[in-house]
Amino acid sequence: MKGKITMTITIGCTALILTMIMFTQFKTVDKTDITVIETMRETELRSELASWRDKYEEIEEKIEETNSKINEYEQELQNDVNTANLLQQEVKEAEGYLGYTNLQGEGIKVTLQDTEFKSITYSDLLRLVNELNAAGADAISINDERIISRTDITVVNNIKILINARRVTSPYIVKAIGDKKYLESALTVKNGYIDEIRFEEKLIDCTVEDNIFIPAYEGTYKEKQDFNYAKENKVEE
Amino acid sequence: MIYIAIILGCIIGAILGVNAPVIPYTYSSYLSIAIIAALDTVFGGIASVLKGNFDLKIFLSGFFGNSILSIALTYLGEKLNVDIYLAAIVVFVGRMFTNLAIIRRYYIDRWVNLIEKNKKNKDINPEIESKEDSN
Repeated sequence: MKGKITMTITIGCTALILTMIMFTQFKTVDKTDITVIETMRETELRSELASWRDKYEEIEEKIEETNSKINEYEQELQNDVNTANLLQQEVKEAEGYLGYTNLQGEGIKVTLQDTEFKSITYSDLLRLVNELNAAGADAISINDERIISRTDITVVNNIKILINARRVTSPYIVKAIGDKKYLESALTVKNGYIDEIRFEEKLIDCTVEDNIFIPAYEGTYKEKQDFNYAKENKVEE
Repeated sequence: MIYIAIILGCIIGAILGVNAPVIPYTYSSYLSIAIIAALDTVFGGIASVLKGNFDLKIFLSGFFGNSILSIALTYLGEKLNVDIYLAAIVVFVGRMFTNLAIIRRYYIDRWVNLIEKNKKNKDINPEIESKEDSN
């Protein structure tokens, strides 16, 4: 009787252990789908890690490549900016040469004035401009009309003086920027321009100033000429 | 009595197993091989009961010994990078089928014997049968 009870208990315990382990295992297998990574085998994790590392390396390589490309582009951009700056500077210089900029600096101011008996002729102005140019003036203006390379000083009916196709009248204030000593001496030299004008009994006054303002040329070059007739001479040497 | 013990054990075991914490997947392969070994032992035990040579000591030692041995072998296989647990499963499941065949044959034999007995009874005592029918 005692042996039978022992056997019963033992077999019951065995069944208990077996079912318990089995259900635990069922549960584990069930849960495994949800928490794949946490319960993965070491080997699987290792291979996964290796694949991720490969991917990481690949991406890092790509990043390096992209970075180097970016650097290249940046350098190019820098070059472009430099070129643009250079071009802008050149444009500014060209504009300065052409007279498109307002200028100021040391120079002289010559005032020519008609009198009751004698009036200033256009040739007087032309000669003055010539003298000033020869003396190395940077910029010249007559009555704030900028004298540029292709400015015309003409006369109509021997009375009206036109500069840049605009009428100017007495008094003629000629301003020139440049070395003030040079300019002054070029005009005041003995038997020079001022002497000649005074000899003709015309009024002339010359003052040296430290700050002369000369306005920009207001027209455009294109209006004046489009090179309709002139062509580049391509003579091969 | 024994059947009651078995059923009670199964129910309590199921409840405990459902409430038990989840074990890591790494160890679940060991557990599964242990379960197979235990099941094999259980079927072997049933077969031996039917044969009449059941021994509790052999059953218990087989139950725990086989489980632990299979776990140890699986661990060894893991270390050697050989899937030894496959061999264990083949052996245990093969034995399970053998034991199941023994159990099946025993019950089929009994069933056939029962039918034949009933037939013989009918042949020998037809009057009694008819009398019972009339009652």
